[in-house]
Amino acid sequence: MLFITEVIAHFHPVLVHLPIGILLLAILFHWLSSKEKFAGLSIAIPISYLAGAITAILSCITGYILSGSGEYDETTLNLHQWMGILVAFISSAGYLFCRNKNEQQLKWVSIVLAGLITITGHLGGTLTHGEGYLWKGISESKKDSINAVKVIANAQEAIVYKDIIQPILQQKCYNCHAATKQKGGLRVDSEEWIMKGGKNGKVLVAGSIDSSVVYKRIILDPIEEKHMPPKGKPQLKEQERLLLQWWIASGADFTKKSKELSQTAAVKTALSALEKSEVLETKRADIPDGEVAKANETILESLRKNSVTVFEISEKSNWLSANFVNCIKWNADIEKQMDLLKDQLIWLKIPGAQLQESSWKTIAGLTNLKRLSAEHSNITDQDLVQLNSLKQLQYLNLVDTKITLKGLLQWKSNNLASLFINKSGIGLQEFNTLKINFPKANIDTGGYYVPFMATDTQQLHPRTDKK
Amino acid sequence: MSRNIQRIIQEANAHTMQQLTRRHFFQECVTGMGAMALGSVLGGCNWLGSKDTGSLIHSNPLMAHAPHFAGKAKSVIYIHMAGAPSQLELFDYKPDLMKLDGLDCPQSLLEGKKFAFIRGVPKMMGPQASFQQRGQSGAWISDHLPHLSTVADEISFLKAVQTDQFNHGPAQLLMHTGSARLGRPSIGSWVTYGLGSENNNLPGFVVLTSGGKNPDAGKSIWGNGFLPSVYQGVQCRTEGDPVLFLKDPAGMDRDLRKASIDAINEANKLTYEEYQDPETVSRIAQYEMAYRMQIEVPETMNINNEPAYIHEMYGTKPGVACFANNVLLARKLVEKGVRFVQLFDWGWDSHGTDENLAIDYGFVNKCRATDKPVTALLLDLKQRGLLDETLVVWGGEFGRTPMQENRDGKKMPFKGRDHHTEAFTIWMAGGGIKKGFSYGETDEIGYSAISGKVTPFDIQATILNQLGFDHEKLVYPFQGRPFRLTDVHGRVINEILA
Repeated sequence: MLFITEVIAHFHPVLVHLPIGILLLAILFHWLSSKEKFAGLSIAIPISYLAGAITAILSCITGYILSGSGEYDETTLNLHQWMGILVAFISSAGYLFCRNKNEQQLKWVSIVLAGLITITGHLGGTLTHGEGYLWKGISESKKDSINAVKVIANAQEAIVYKDIIQPILQQKCYNCHAATKQKGGLRVDSEEWIMKGGKNGKVLVAGSIDSSVVYKRIILDPIEEKHMPPKGKPQLKEQERLLLQWWIASGADFTKKSKELSQTAAVKTALSALEKSEVLETKRADIPDGEVAKANETILESLRKNSVTVFEISEKSNWLSANFVNCIKWNADIEKQMDLLKDQLIWLKIPGAQLQESSWKTIAGLTNLKRLSAEHSNITDQDLVQLNSLKQLQYLNLVDTKITLKGLLQWKSNNLASLFINKSGIGLQEFNTLKINFPKANIDTGGYYVPFMATDTQQLHPRTDKK
Repeated sequence: MSRNIQRIIQEANAHTMQQLTRRHFFQECVTGMGAMALGSVLGGCNWLGSKDTGSLIHSNPLMAHAPHFAGKAKSVIYIHMAGAPSQLELFDYKPDLMKLDGLDCPQSLLEGKKFAFIRGVPKMMGPQASFQQRGQSGAWISDHLPHLSTVADEISFLKAVQTDQFNHGPAQLLMHTGSARLGRPSIGSWVTYGLGSENNNLPGFVVLTSGGKNPDAGKSIWGNGFLPSVYQGVQCRTEGDPVLFLKDPAGMDRDLRKASIDAINEANKLTYEEYQDPETVSRIAQYEMAYRMQIEVPETMNINNEPAYIHEMYGTKPGVACFANNVLLARKLVEKGVRFVQLFDWGWDSHGTDENLAIDYGFVNKCRATDKPVTALLLDLKQRGLLDETLVVWGGEFGRTPMQENRDGKKMPFKGRDHHTEAFTIWMAGGGIKKGFSYGETDEIGYSAISGKVTPFDIQATILNQLGFDHEKLVYPFQGRPFRLTDVHGRVINEILA
């Protein structure tokens, strides 16, 4: 029996659309029928009201059964319920007024009913889709900035629940388990609610991972139906799962600070990761902010005819990347074309290039350049001094070139992040001097080698192995 | 001679005439009109989000394209240890398994499970290697890999990879094509289809094999599937000429060669205009590529010109087909702008059936032969400033059991482990991957993954992501629907991204 009522209850979201449509149509007919052109519609009004009233009553019944599941916010539910009943009542009255030809009353009924249907429908929407569903798309960007995990200045001094656990729950669980919705009768937006549990009992047992349903459901295989958050919803990150496990296992205390709970090495790393802003990390230093006008396609085409690989760094961007691996000598045409790309070009590869002085001058004019790979090229100290104009440069590869310390010392940059000087004219002992000129750079002097080990070439065999 | 030519011309004419019968005319009219109408309806939409294939003939299919977003990696070196190396002797240290060494495997681990060769109740087998924590990151690496241990801090380990195929062929197919069945394009083909090549004189996708055999799944794991065949992996020989028939035949100079290729391509262009078959474009592109490769390939594929310190570093043996040579070639190719280099090294299938496939002999020798070159590759890419743009992936097609294999319920002549799908290790380095990191855990005996599980689809999604692709959007229309490498699966493993 329970099963059948439950099935009937699930018809509520389908049924409710009938009275909405039918009654609004009845009202429309009613208003139109005063015009002579549509006078014929008046014959349809009583039957529309009747059909609307009947489906409204059915919706009320199924809705009442559904409300028993206890998954919804109570105040909204109450309002929705009573307004629904009112719709059923007034539409029945509307039918009677039609039959008795009470024109004046029917007019009032139509006005009140139109308003009621709108409000009841909206409340129903709020129940299923959550508070503020209507404007969700518009205010999404705003919401994201609120939801982004805040950077914690000192994770060890932070209060575990308030500063670490609650933001995770807020991001990943509140949508269905907080004030607006309580799927499975569970709320997790305060200490009391969390400890109270859902309709199937407690979800959190302090100190015990194995008996805490809230954690077990999270680590369930994602393909399982009972896995939380459900398929398609944002999932907990590995680090968040670990912190949640740590908090529950160490007693699910709502007031203690991180340093008061014992921490494994993994938890320590996860905690210190909270101190770094993720937003800053995803931004790439080797792509400039903002956008740039599209490069002239004919210039790109003529470069390509010279075996130059040149293309946008991504489909959505106009910044350019160029590779001259098949074009090691530049002529005047190429110099001219490159000059025209100086706004867009940010990554340039010229491995093994044999360029004249004028070509290096052209490169010096590419002031937006973020990456320059000039390994194995004929670049000299003199050319390098010209490249001083490349203030944006993040990455500079001078492997296997004739560059010496003298050339690099005339070059200062606070932006340079990676510098490669293996097999150049710079000695290992000159490394420290360089570091002063490029304080932020990670300078790779190369010269790595993999030592020979006797075992590299020896083979193990059962016969020789036996002693 | 001239009579022969006349006959060929006659045949060609007859062939054309055959197509122009009255019936043919009506047939073409009807379907042609329908197609025209449909074409005009659909013409305006970006059908299935695919790239414009209308003007194939005018563009080089291997020309570099912009990816969906700016990727961190420009190229990939995928080192596949065919046969599946044992994670329990290399990266997944399980001291508790040692305590169970020689005991019967508990029923709970066998019930409802399928193994390739294990029958009845096998014995548990402890780790056959000693382990230490390496580097700042404290990653566990066994003494079998003394060189790799020194670069542990460059690597992200995926310790809980899972697959659902326990035979080599299907498992390798799944790993490289996203399906255990034949017919799908390989990951290298998808990448060259999406990104093109940065060097027009070299293929975009090169395959090198070592270990004496090709992988079990055969050439399909570098095949192009339903993508145009210009995107298939080009397998280079590791002994003798890397690509056969690149040299001009005796008596033919390069100009004559060029003239003949131009003539053939002119004819092919006419064919394309008539039939619009993209495979014709592939053929044209390949003729042109072969001509350009004549100069570039012998130079790039020749490791003799490398300095002595490089040979020492990699442990290469010029003139002999071996893994170390292939690794050095991979570095040279990536340096020249090749998009995807796939290395297959056969011989890791350590069942214990003979000496070469024994965990305590052949397996150790395989480790010794590959440890130095792989380590040298990472360090060499690093000192050349290429590691941040080159994604290096190392792994097999599945893992190996914590039980000792007992083929057909009998004791084996050597120590070995059977195929295992539920947990194994794959590592990635460079190309925007975190340095010195481990993701995922297995249980106390390394039987199954308990956290941080990843699938072959997740690995494929991650590789594509590093190159700048949303794996859900890199699609190709085939048989009426858009296909993608990861089908309906795959999640980018954000945890290991730098």
